[in-house]
Amino acid sequence: MIRVNDVQKHFGALHVLRGITFEVQKGEAIVIIGPSGSGKSTLLRCINLLVEPDSGQVFIDGVQVNRHGIRHEWVRQQVGMVFQSFNLFTHLTAIDNVTLGLTRVKGMTHDKAVEKARELLARVGLAAKENSYPAELSGGQQQRVAIARALAMDPKAMLFDEPTSALDPEYIREVLDVMTALAREGMTMIVVTHEMGFASNVASRILFMDAGKIVEEGSAEQIFHRPKEERTRSFVSKILR
Amino acid sequence: MADLRKFLRERWRYIDAMLAVAVIVGSLAYIYDLLVGSRGLDVAYITRNYGLYVHAVLTNVYATTIAFLVGMAIGFSVGWLRTARTMPLAKFVLSLRAERRARSEDREVIKADSGFLIFFSLLWYGAKYVVRRIGDGFVEIIRGTPLYVQILFASSFFIVFLREYATEGLLIGIITLAINTGGYQAEIFRAGLQTVHSGQIEAARAIGFSRLRAMRYVILPQALRLIIPPLTNEYIGLFKASTFLFVLGVQTEISYIALHEGYAGDVFEIFAMVTAIFLAITVTLSFVVQSLERRFRIPGLGIEAVRKPRGVKMPAPVA
Repeated sequence: MIRVNDVQKHFGALHVLRGITFEVQKGEAIVIIGPSGSGKSTLLRCINLLVEPDSGQVFIDGVQVNRHGIRHEWVRQQVGMVFQSFNLFTHLTAIDNVTLGLTRVKGMTHDKAVEKARELLARVGLAAKENSYPAELSGGQQQRVAIARALAMDPKAMLFDEPTSALDPEYIREVLDVMTALAREGMTMIVVTHEMGFASNVASRILFMDAGKIVEEGSAEQIFHRPKEERTRSFVSKILR
Repeated sequence: MADLRKFLRERWRYIDAMLAVAVIVGSLAYIYDLLVGSRGLDVAYITRNYGLYVHAVLTNVYATTIAFLVGMAIGFSVGWLRTARTMPLAKFVLSLRAERRARSEDREVIKADSGFLIFFSLLWYGAKYVVRRIGDGFVEIIRGTPLYVQILFASSFFIVFLREYATEGLLIGIITLAINTGGYQAEIFRAGLQTVHSGQIEAARAIGFSRLRAMRYVILPQALRLIIPPLTNEYIGLFKASTFLFVLGVQTEISYIALHEGYAGDVFEIFAMVTAIFLAITVTLSFVVQSLERRFRIPGLGIEAVRKPRGVKMPAPVA
């Protein structure tokens, strides 16, 4: 489904990704953990080309996407992305946030788009809030609208960049529930998160990243309880406590 | 007592507006009393001449509005250009080299092709760089020189190079004003565009918007709301500056003042008329803009909080 092969990325003198290679099968939910600054977010952004890799290849459904002749806009419609800071369009209501991409990118008629958006908002449990502006919603509600917005484009896979890190503890649950349901429905997902409960319940595999490399890869059980690498062990011991 | 409070609360907006008008009218009355208190106002003079001045101001409104709209187009383009970051040349060359390396891995690409690629990339980079620098220079020149000088310069330019249009004072004036306000509006637009959070662009790009469409549907609607106040400022400033067009032979108030018996005696009447007409227009504009701001305000955002009387529990909104 998604294959990343030897991806390198520099920001100036900073070597952020040092040769990342991994593969995600259809329907898998991959969780990426690692200390801050280890390149997790950059890796996600390399997959939907918000950041262009310096070298290496990214394949989506067997198509290499980071090469000439492939439109970035097309690639980004294939994978939805959810951000740490929600990034809802502040001047639009919840439902308009969802329909904007449908009408303006996909060229759907307004009525059809609204119908689909209502469905999606109901799916994330926000049918009653469709006319609220982002600033009138709680963090958890905003993030759920953001998930609906990403889902509206019918992506083949979803990328989550620390979706719960900016949330108050009371709102984390509702967002994780939506994500869990999504994974159970068979959505291919790559999630950067520090929610260990979510990781052990949902993840088919966990990647541990440090200093721009994938240090260790394995099931939740293995990474959390029987890590092979010393760095994994010290990181896991810090977050599990 | 409670009734009075309720009345005040509900009608405060209108009372507020009336108070503002009262202050303006009051201060004008005071000035009037100071200047012509004993002499009395020459009403006959005003009724005889006010049509002339209204006509002059309408010319101003016309020139200002066209110049302002053209200036918006200039300002938006230059402002957007100036938000763009150009990468340093060294980094650009590096990326070219990386690109060539990546391409040489594709067997179908032949050498000649990569030569072309480098040529066009360099051309594109160079063009972008030059256009940006021109934008910077444009803003600095417009901001750095007096409008009066710019108008004189424009008229000389027309006299030397486009003689057949040299007598079209209004046309030259509108062109000059448009370029002038374009320079100022470039900075207003740049401020607006840069204030919109970068996450908004990222989110728009992430659902497949192109750069242009992200600008159209996500960035610009937010930026425009932010820059309504400075744009209004700019419009009023331009409106007043447009009186300068008398230099080009456009009949504006100042030229009437100069032509008329202005120097003789009824100076106050003339200024009173001009003041009244200008204030009428700018104050009306302020009210229009205020209601625009209210209309396009994003609920829950910005400093203007929803007015909720203290101690009163609002009913929950019906969902």
